[in-house]
Amino acid sequence: MNEFDDKPWLADAKALLDESASALDAPTLSRLNRARHAALAQRGPRWLGIGWLPATAVAGTCALLLGVAVWTTQRAPTRGAPVAASAAPAAAAAALGDDDSLEFYQDLEFYAWLDAEQDGDGDG
Amino acid sequence: MITIATALSSESALPADNLERVNPATTQAALGRFLETVERRALRMAELATASRDEALDLVQDAMFGFVRHYADKPASEWTPLFYRVLDNRLNDWHRRRQVRSRWIWTASPSRDADDDADPGTQVADPADPGPLLRLAGTQAAAALDTALGNLPSRQRQAFLLRVWEGFDVATTAATMRCSEGSVKTHLSRALAALRRALEPHQ
Repeated sequence: MNEFDDKPWLADAKALLDESASALDAPTLSRLNRARHAALAQRGPRWLGIGWLPATAVAGTCALLLGVAVWTTQRAPTRGAPVAASAAPAAAAAALGDDDSLEFYQDLEFYAWLDAEQDGDGDG
Repeated sequence: MITIATALSSESALPADNLERVNPATTQAALGRFLETVERRALRMAELATASRDEALDLVQDAMFGFVRHYADKPASEWTPLFYRVLDNRLNDWHRRRQVRSRWIWTASPSRDADDDADPGTQVADPADPGPLLRLAGTQAAAALDTALGNLPSRQRQAFLLRVWEGFDVATTAATMRCSEGSVKTHLSRALAALRRALEPHQ
């Protein structure tokens, strides 16, 4: 009820408008339904963006700081070690790649025996 | 209603103390119910303004998006005028685009928005007159009313629909239409007079 309801033709006009709004066809109502759901759907990501953004930012910053701290503490005390550690396999690989060295290792028992023999001769 | 009009007057502001701190899912459901209650009337308003159901559906969808994006956090009691404000903006934009297009296409018909030229004194309705729709029946009356409303200048039509159909008071209508209360009264007076004149032949 509003101030225009006491004017009959305006009350009629209102009634006709109400009737036209309630008598919309099914395809139109379906499109309105889809439009409403689409409009409401945009609100989900917005909540995520606003609600989770601070927590995500804090968690990301913490993870970054933790990563930097772990990387720093692991790297600092072993600053020279990785060179040595990495040099050993490199030397081994180089030695293995060298045919002369390979023969040396294959004849290692012979050289050990020869060394023992020479020591024995020296003693004798 | 004064509160609503005040809230409408500061459209872009979203003061923190005005936000509803409720469960988001509850708000989502309430928003859905609200849109369901206004969407049909909104569509009819847009359809009367554009004379095209497809255009009207697009405008209503656009208004729904704008309303949810900007005003969903406002108190539910303010949703109705806020929604119609968004819709009114969309309708005004639509009319502006149409006017820009029509500048390049000559038309002999006078602009429907030239609603401030006529003498208001000649348009005042006689309150004792029972009115033109009383003896019209059913679809004939509905069609006549649709045509008459569709031929109104946009501001007059919006003033009529918001004041008479939605039942907004003058202040809320003015805030919704972004004009003065005096303009609302003038638009409505002219709309009523024009509707009576247009519907008289149907008696």
